Amino acid sequence: MDVIERSESDRLRQENWIQRTVRRPEIGAFMVMAVIIVALYFASDGRAFNALGVKNNVAIIAQFGIIATGAALLMIAGEFDLSIGSMIGFAGMSMAMMLKWGLPFGLGEATPFAAFAVTLAMTLTLGWIIGNIVVRSGLSSFIVTLGFLFFLRGTTEVSFRLINKSTQISGLPDYKETSWFADLMGGEVFGWFYDAWFWLGGNLNRKGEQWVTGFDARFLWWILIAGVAWLILSRTQLGNWIFATGDDKEAARANGVPVNKVKIGLFMFTAFCATIFAACQVFDTNTSDAAKGNLKELEAIAIAVVGGTLMTGGFGSVLGVIFGAVTVGLVANAVFFIPWIDGSWFRVFVGTVLLAAVFANERIRKRITGGI
Amino acid sequence: MAGQPYMRVENLVKRFGPFTALAGVSLEIFPGEVHALLGDNGAGKSTLIKILAGVHRASEGQIYVEGRPVTFRSPRDATAAGIGTVYQDLALNQLMSVTRNFFMGREIKNRLGVLKMDEMDRIAHDEMLKIGIDFSDPTQAVGTMSGGQRQTLAIARAIYFGAKVLILDEPTSALGQKQQMGVLKTIKKVRKRGDIAIIFITHNEIHSRLVADRYTFLALGKVIGAGTRDSLEHGEIRRLMAGGAEMADLEQELESV
Ligand SMILES: Nc1ncnc2c1ncn2[C@@H]1O[C@H](COP(=O)(O)OP(=O)(O)OP(=O)(O)O)[C@@H](O)[C@H]1O
Ligand SMILES: [Mg+2]
Repeated sequence: MDVIERSESDRLRQENWIQRTVRRPEIGAFMVMAVIIVALYFASDGRAFNALGVKNNVAIIAQFGIIATGAALLMIAGEFDLSIGSMIGFAGMSMAMMLKWGLPFGLGEATPFAAFAVTLAMTLTLGWIIGNIVVRSGLSSFIVTLGFLFFLRGTTEVSFRLINKSTQISGLPDYKETSWFADLMGGEVFGWFYDAWFWLGGNLNRKGEQWVTGFDARFLWWILIAGVAWLILSRTQLGNWIFATGDDKEAARANGVPVNKVKIGLFMFTAFCATIFAACQVFDTNTSDAAKGNLKELEAIAIAVVGGTLMTGGFGSVLGVIFGAVTVGLVANAVFFIPWIDGSWFRVFVGTVLLAAVFANERIRKRITGGI
Repeated sequence: MAGQPYMRVENLVKRFGPFTALAGVSLEIFPGEVHALLGDNGAGKSTLIKILAGVHRASEGQIYVEGRPVTFRSPRDATAAGIGTVYQDLALNQLMSVTRNFFMGREIKNRLGVLKMDEMDRIAHDEMLKIGIDFSDPTQAVGTMSGGQRQTLAIARAIYFGAKVLILDEPTSALGQKQQMGVLKTIKKVRKRGDIAIIFITHNEIHSRLVADRYTFLALGKVIGAGTRDSLEHGEIRRLMAGGAEMADLEQELESV
């Protein structure tokens, strides 16, 4: 008898690294990013990538990246947070107000670190409360966090008017000169990069001196947050739990994954990201404004989706979110480098790319789940 | 079969509000045996095993494991007591890889909390090979596996994590002929080890005939018959599977429509 012994392993085609790379879910986001970088370079006559251009671009990319990382991890676990933008406004108001009017309950003057620590305690508590409401009520996080979007923005404005009389604080002293902490949030980092650039003969201003001296500190924070998020998601038990929670909550629970704790933890993480965003802004500019962070929650979600995160949870990558943040950040800034362009094209672009990304992600999901 | 039952269930009652899903169910589970749990749709089979698996709490009654009374507050408790459940929906995550599913909730990590992915890949592959499938790529997403392969993955996972009682909720439904036989073969292989008790839920009389040592029949939340393979007649099994109705009566009913 001529029975051919075939095993399951024979049915899988061996792929080389190029084929494997092309099948990676981040590939779409990477291609869009590459196209944008090239297009922007030519359209701006290279200005977008001169010494100052790089600094300014990285500043906004890092801003987007910080909150999009939080939004993406939460989305992978199957939830949304629409309160990110309001949380930024709230945290910024809280820090600036403590710096100007002192710590609450007459605890005396606030150092930058104290203002940050008290604010972070409040925002993490808020994240914890939001998370608990979502997991305990079983309501959609969309509606719960929409509630907090209004609640926090309103609270920010009311607190400003009650204590400060105006919804703006400006002219705070430049804490970066006296406080290591303020410098860490709002100062400059990676000065060696620009020193090297200068040393190699570039990075010159009109007088021929060194032009730019470093990146905004938020670049470092973005690298830290994205790095830790990447490590957690792809290499740790917690990462496996995040995927499992967002994919099929009941399956995860049946296997002993503490899905509620995972979700609550991630709502606290988005609150953390929003607070870092706000701290970098406050200590960079020494100002605050009740309108800060407006619409940032939607931009964060858009970037997460552009980066390949599934709206339905269970799938996504930090690398993709990095590509998404670079893409959206560059386009948001493009108006400064291409004078003839109307800044509102930014939204047209984001909307278009977002839709394209949703379709692409859906195709990836279908490929993985066998088309259901 | 002689010996002590590994697990004993006495008078389990489960009420969902006003609805009584289980009205006093008792059974005994012996190591090295396949215990077929049979009954019509809605008889309460899934409800019963969900209680055994720690998903639901019983309203009344008691579970004993190795003679000691136990209470399961969560699936984790049940797993710790050696109850491994393969649900009707398998509790697998489609978007995640074979390995990540295999170790879901019980990942192997080093002291820094970083996953030992290589070791986990190897274990997942070896454990699945032991009970029947050679899976070459542990990074493949479960969503792309066939139904029988998923079933094997879920069974291999339960055994690897120390299941002494393996609960299979309709493992052969929704599978093609060949894959059904594959799953039955897997059940036989597990049974041969001798140390694992299997609770096998099915609607298929032939399947139960092929592997079961002992039977319990449920109807409307009650045990309407039980016994070993030898003590039950063929016709008896059929009658009990239909919830106690005579097949002839059902056939007559069909005729009259
Ligand atoms: N969470 C619940 N709330 C209310 N009623 C429930 C619940 N779970 C099950 N039931 C009811 O309990 C009864 C038994 O359901 P169960 O799922 O145990 O049946 P089954 O024997 O597994 O049926 P099948 O063969 O179709 O899988 C059904 O009438 C079902 O509607
Ligand atoms: Mg059932």
